[in-house]
Amino acid sequence: MRVILKVEKLSKHYIIKSGAFSKRQVIRAVQEVSFQLVENQSLGLIGESGSGKSTVANLVLRLIKPSGGRIELFGEDITLMKEEEMRRYRKDIQIIFQYTNDVLDPQMTVDELLKEPLKIHGIVKDGELDQEVDRLLEQVGLSPSERWKLPGQLSGGQNQRIIIARAIATRARLIVCDEPVSALDVSVQGQILNLLISLKEELNLSYLFISHDIKVIRHMCDRIAVMKNGEIVEMGDVEDVLDNPQHEYTRKLIEAML
Amino acid sequence: MDGEGKVEISGAENMEDKLLDVRDLKVSFYSDKGSVQVVRGFDISMKKGEIVGILGESGSGKTVSSSSIIKLLDESLGSIDSGEAIFKGRDLLKLSEKDLKRIRGDEISYIFQNSSAALSPYKRIGKQLGEVLKTHGRVVSKEHILKTLEEVGLEDGERIYHMYPFQLSGGQNQRIMIAQCILCDPELLIADEPTSSIDASLQKTILELLKDISMRNKMSVIIITHDFGVARYLCDRLMVMYGGLVLEEGTIEEMLNSPLHPYTQELIRCARSLAEDDETMYTIEGAPPTPYQFRDECPFYSRCSLREGACREGIPQKIDLDGRRVRCIRYEKR
Repeated sequence: MRVILKVEKLSKHYIIKSGAFSKRQVIRAVQEVSFQLVENQSLGLIGESGSGKSTVANLVLRLIKPSGGRIELFGEDITLMKEEEMRRYRKDIQIIFQYTNDVLDPQMTVDELLKEPLKIHGIVKDGELDQEVDRLLEQVGLSPSERWKLPGQLSGGQNQRIIIARAIATRARLIVCDEPVSALDVSVQGQILNLLISLKEELNLSYLFISHDIKVIRHMCDRIAVMKNGEIVEMGDVEDVLDNPQHEYTRKLIEAML
Repeated sequence: MDGEGKVEISGAENMEDKLLDVRDLKVSFYSDKGSVQVVRGFDISMKKGEIVGILGESGSGKTVSSSSIIKLLDESLGSIDSGEAIFKGRDLLKLSEKDLKRIRGDEISYIFQNSSAALSPYKRIGKQLGEVLKTHGRVVSKEHILKTLEEVGLEDGERIYHMYPFQLSGGQNQRIMIAQCILCDPELLIADEPTSSIDASLQKTILELLKDISMRNKMSVIIITHDFGVARYLCDRLMVMYGGLVLEEGTIEEMLNSPLHPYTQELIRCARSLAEDDETMYTIEGAPPTPYQFRDECPFYSRCSLREGACREGIPQKIDLDGRRVRCIRYEKR
């Protein structure tokens, strides 16, 4: 199995001063986190808010610079790669945000929203753009008639499909899914989870899947990493960890499940 | 399509025990496309000490209907079209703002969805809680505040009394919110998704706390949620809302074990599919309607696998089946 992403002792510290004369305080948002993700695998990151899940995602996406450690994407060190160089990799690693009303530009039609990543990364020739948009819509289960609509005219589930279509438009290999269904209605969540699973197989994707919902992680992921206070306290195959948790915090999370 | 459903009866219910009785509540919002009715029929009847859940997806009208009971709806945004809300013999919807202010936070409390936004960031906890007592003409007693903090499971009350909300965790702030709500010993607490903004590991603790307080103080609770797990854990009775209507109502056991309405049935199948980790998730095609899509028909029509022509002939009547209520024409013929 090919390793897609390898993270070694990754750390992110923030220095804050609470007042003009107070001492500097170091917030260790992420502390020496290590994991790897192989082709077509999905790794779930679970933990309470403030545990560092999203910081890990932002580091992996190189949206913020790490304080220490190493990130390898397809075997290449991208830890401190310059932005121009990094741009080559941007299309390979995409993110699906939690759906809120402000993730998609409300003034752009679905057509424009899907063409944007295609143009930026030069995925297809200009003449093939329309055809490609049709293909993407079909791939995420939207009808061609949605193409001229604005996000405000679509339901939450349909907008989440658009967000997914934008992520796969660039032929990404690794997708960070940050709470992709937690804002959706119960009757719609399943549709999106089914779509993410079928796309994973169809396109040979790997997911770094962030969620606070154990049931969602169990369904979606092969492996799981439990985070607390910026550290991974337990990691392993999803069944092993959830059925036989070793760390006290993992047990607490499972017990708290309703 | 009228007069088909039986008139609801209070049966053997003891009128003495009845705390709140809301009937036929309808609420509209103003929009640039004209007035839109978002709650098209909401009824709730509550006994003392009872915990009732209102379960629904976004746009189903669950928050608007329960906040309208104590007229929290901003009058520039919308209006209550019809209905009554009898609380201890008085119709809350007919009361003046002055009278309502006296009731809110005192006899009826409301926990908002995003609790940290409901606390003032500039005031110490002790002061904020003291203001609640003052507003309602009660003695501002530090002792009572500390006792309440202890009641919501904050052991270090003396220290917390002097702290600001930002110095506390999300879970602690949620407890402060609850403390604020029970400070005046209300008879009814309306809690809108009280655990959705806090960590999963704390959810159960907070729900347990609400349950305890309800038992101890004989406080009735209306809990608004989209999560069957929360409803099952906490509620005596459950109402399911969809498309601005209560589609079904019953005891929590009835609702989970033998749901009547096709929507409830399907929704439970969705939730169960995830809980049981099915290979492929069971789903309901389509999406819930937005208020702009509301028609004079069953709101679940387009997604229902049991639909028939008659489902489109007006909004289905509320039918009473031995204390359970359901809005579906399949039960009309009996």
